[in-house]
Amino acid sequence: MHINLGFIDYLIVALYFIFVLGIGWFVRQNVKTSEDFLTSHHSLPVWVTSLAFLAANLGAQEVMGMCASGAKYGMMTFHFYWLGAVPAMIFVGVFMMPFYYGSRARSVPEYLKLRFDEKTRALNALSFAVMTIFSSGVSMYALGKLFQLLLGWSFNQSVLLSAAIVLVYTLLGGLTSAIYNEVLQFFLIVMGFAPLAILAVMRAGGWAGMAARIPDVMMHSWKYLGSSASNPMGVEVFGVVAGLGFVLSFGYWCTDFLVVQRAMAANSMSAARRTPLLAAFPKMIMPFIVIVPGIAALALTRMGSGYSLPMKAGGFDYDQSLTSLMVQLYPTGMLGVGITALMASFMSGMAGNVTAFNTVFTYDLYQSYLRPHQADRHYLTVAKATTVGGIALSIAAAYLADQYNNIMDVLQLVFSFINAPLFATFLLGMFWKRTTGHGAFTGLLSGIMGATITHGMTVAEGKGGWIATVHTFPSTMAQNFWMAIVAWITCFVITIAVSLATTAKHHTELTGLVYGLTKMPEAGDDPWYKRVAPLAVVVGVVVALLNLLFW
Amino acid sequence: MMDLRLPVGIFFVILGVLLETVASAQAQLTSVPVNTYAGGAILVFGAALLLLARRAKRL
Repeated sequence: MHINLGFIDYLIVALYFIFVLGIGWFVRQNVKTSEDFLTSHHSLPVWVTSLAFLAANLGAQEVMGMCASGAKYGMMTFHFYWLGAVPAMIFVGVFMMPFYYGSRARSVPEYLKLRFDEKTRALNALSFAVMTIFSSGVSMYALGKLFQLLLGWSFNQSVLLSAAIVLVYTLLGGLTSAIYNEVLQFFLIVMGFAPLAILAVMRAGGWAGMAARIPDVMMHSWKYLGSSASNPMGVEVFGVVAGLGFVLSFGYWCTDFLVVQRAMAANSMSAARRTPLLAAFPKMIMPFIVIVPGIAALALTRMGSGYSLPMKAGGFDYDQSLTSLMVQLYPTGMLGVGITALMASFMSGMAGNVTAFNTVFTYDLYQSYLRPHQADRHYLTVAKATTVGGIALSIAAAYLADQYNNIMDVLQLVFSFINAPLFATFLLGMFWKRTTGHGAFTGLLSGIMGATITHGMTVAEGKGGWIATVHTFPSTMAQNFWMAIVAWITCFVITIAVSLATTAKHHTELTGLVYGLTKMPEAGDDPWYKRVAPLAVVVGVVVALLNLLFW
Repeated sequence: MMDLRLPVGIFFVILGVLLETVASAQAQLTSVPVNTYAGGAILVFGAALLLLARRAKRL
């Protein structure tokens, strides 16, 4: 599949580049201190942080991957949004943000240091820093490969051009510039892909026409979750609810600094708490923009409409669902908007990782362990140098992925082991004052071990089982969900056991960090839509209705 | 601090105008005038952001 872009398409791509660089240029005058550069100095309005909170997670791999999952699994993919994101976004806004924002920690690892100790912070900061670099590199690699395939651009040109643009605008305006551009990127992604969803569904004969052409199991999100054998995902209700809806989802949305950093940049405690709640509204709509086109692509293939999903050895190449639809349903003009939207989603993913990396490196590694007690000007210079270094390392990671694809798969697997137990540590740390630093650290390591051993002793689609095979899962997705559940329970139990056997911090050291020892923010006289509790209820009701409607 | 609605609004107004200039372009699989409709919607969105930015400046 090859796309021939016209002059107008290239003009749209160029316009986008000019505007992202321009935003960086205008924002640069506000950057005077390291906090301006790395944390936006808690200065951004809530509508900006909300959209950035969402956009930082809206990388191209997610957009294309969700469309592919839609074509492969149907509406069960909706769970990644309505179950695997929104409940966790409510939780972080209502319960966790008062501690992140109220403690005045500049990063999630710094919160761990204040709440627990240095070793827990170091473990989280180091693993997070390495993960962000590789995530950013994988994003660049995917962009390079996609544009090579679709547009015939060279891998080197695509990687270096995208890296250079992200570097210039993040270097100029730091986190504020990255967040501002994420808002532009978010709107562009919606404008670029929403018409595709409408056109694809219309072409497939509307919702009813689409439903008539694909199996019933693909038109429901919950109905076929009774057993793993009755749905194409190979998962059952407990694995989905506990693994995806609780452990993985809460682990990501509540503890990953990449997204939490956007909320922490808000200009008040109320705005920080409302950030994930307001972001939940567009998040609930995203499945109709990124998943439904995939479902429609399968329906179009079956109705013999002139469109067919691309093939590869062994069946459909679902990964190309989105791009193949774009090629056939978009004329020149909208094709340029679609390609620019894809580029924007790659860049927002990259910039999100780089800005989280430079903050964690500068504050949690460099200032804490390498050169403490320096003037702020020194840390601002280090932060800028880290941005350059972070982009350079990401480029290196992209080339590593190009050379050794298996290494990246192994690394992503290792990162999933590290992430799985994290939410248990935060949950106990924030809501049980008896939790100790030794407990948290040992629990985290045990949880990572638990995930590793589960992967080593189970097999799914030929993966895992490198210690022994005691269980076979019907899909790698089910294996991932159960790996996360085991990791979380292990971390939770070991943290409690070790905490009870060790000495906790005195209450006075935990003020502002733990529930029960922290004065929770009051609602005041704000109208209901500016208050956290009513907003959370509205989000909860809407997401419940959506689940019922597409049961 | 710059009002973000201003640059984003200008971006989408220009984008909408560009799409309207190629309104007659046809896609392979549909005869729907995609550029006309999408361009119009994008133009209106951009203009709305500019209006909001202008209103905020006046207040």
